[in-house]
Amino acid sequence: MSVDKRPAFESPARLVQAPPVAPTMARPAATVFGAVLVVCRVLAGVVWLLSLAVQWRQVVTVDLGIPLDDDAAVDAGSNAVLVVVLIVGAIVLAVEVVLALLIFRGSNWARITVMIFATLSITWSAIDYFGADTEITLRTTLITLALDILVLLALSSRNARAYARRPRVRSR
Amino acid sequence: MSEVVAGASGATTEPVPRRRFSVNAALDGFFFVFAGVASVWLAWLVLTESFSFGWFGILFFLLFWLVLAYLVLPRLHRILTTIYVPDYFIGRARTSDGLLGDPVNLAFDGDEASLHAALGAAGWTRADDVDLASSWRIVTSTVTRRSYDEAPVSPLFLFGRQQDFAYQQEVEGNPARRHHVRFWRTPDDWMLPGGRRVEWLAAGTFDRAVGFSLFTLQVTHKIDADIDIERDHIVTTVIAANPAARVEVLADFSTGYHSRNGGGDTIRTDGDLPVVDVSAVPVAAIEAADAAGAADVAAPAPSVPGGAER
Repeated sequence: MSVDKRPAFESPARLVQAPPVAPTMARPAATVFGAVLVVCRVLAGVVWLLSLAVQWRQVVTVDLGIPLDDDAAVDAGSNAVLVVVLIVGAIVLAVEVVLALLIFRGSNWARITVMIFATLSITWSAIDYFGADTEITLRTTLITLALDILVLLALSSRNARAYARRPRVRSR
Repeated sequence: MSEVVAGASGATTEPVPRRRFSVNAALDGFFFVFAGVASVWLAWLVLTESFSFGWFGILFFLLFWLVLAYLVLPRLHRILTTIYVPDYFIGRARTSDGLLGDPVNLAFDGDEASLHAALGAAGWTRADDVDLASSWRIVTSTVTRRSYDEAPVSPLFLFGRQQDFAYQQEVEGNPARRHHVRFWRTPDDWMLPGGRRVEWLAAGTFDRAVGFSLFTLQVTHKIDADIDIERDHIVTTVIAANPAARVEVLADFSTGYHSRNGGGDTIRTDGDLPVVDVSAVPVAAIEAADAAGAADVAAPAPSVPGGAER
């Protein structure tokens, strides 16, 4: 029996191969942890939306520089904008909760979707941090950034990957 | 070596044939590496943040260690060892991070029931699997200093698989010190380098203390450097308790090899590989061992100089 010569190192392509896994695999801690972290991310979003609603007038007048005091119509308009922002935010957060549930149940596309958004968010923060010299501290964005990175670490781990990509046995 | 290579790759074949490459898999590989790089950045941010909080920063420093030891270093090791550690049998188990772990220093012949019977009769306790309940019990037994003689052992990998089961003996009710041995069933038709067929491979080491891993900085068990003492202790206890068991030694199987295990502990061995044949051990011995188990708690210390198989 002739055997081909092996290279003296393993191919990095092994990193992209799914590990062998049984259909009866139990849900790994990494998957549970990832789903819980996505829920934490949603809670952080709820807090952010609430604080935005409470400080709305200040945000509009100071940060955006739009005077509200003189005109009732502008005032009503700003409130309408706030309602739209809150509704859109709530929809986004609701979708995230559904994604967390799907990840918990072992959905692969939900896992990939969340990882793509986490990657975009981390990249955005990194460009901000290294390019524009924005300071990242606990008081600004460290918590959301840390949550993003932890979500990505948990969901990209070998166990979480194996669980989401396990061969399914159709019992129904 | 051709059998070894073929055997090792045969062990990882999947039941469902799959394409060699897919977008899905490429994305996974990208996220795996990207998350590793991002975690390095996170560790750096947490470290720099720890200086801006005064004494409260000590908590942040603890957090930095947690992130580094349990997230960053394992991920980096996994990426690097995938590339540089050979994945066929080299006489070493691998840790879950891909690092070289405990050396394979024992082999067994016989079916699984006989193996359980022989080890049970020899005063060994089967280790629980790692799950939430057993992890919690480790914490409580450590805090309350109660003995937990079925404490689980960490997973090590051979043929790309976690150990099938593990056995241990507690020493003086101290969870930091214990004898333990992990077992892997070899793939069908797989042979040791040199052509000997064995059904089980095992790695036995003695945990002497709790400390920090050299490679990942995690809290882990430190093992005794002289792994031959533990190997001979396992063989001696099994042979002494089972008259039907036989032992054959493959002398100088991995001669004079000195190295480190997955936690960075030094290991020394003379390289002999005892092959214990337990296929003739009566399976009914399991019940007898359970009855005698309570009286047999005080396990003998690993003080067997030389060992019985020489």
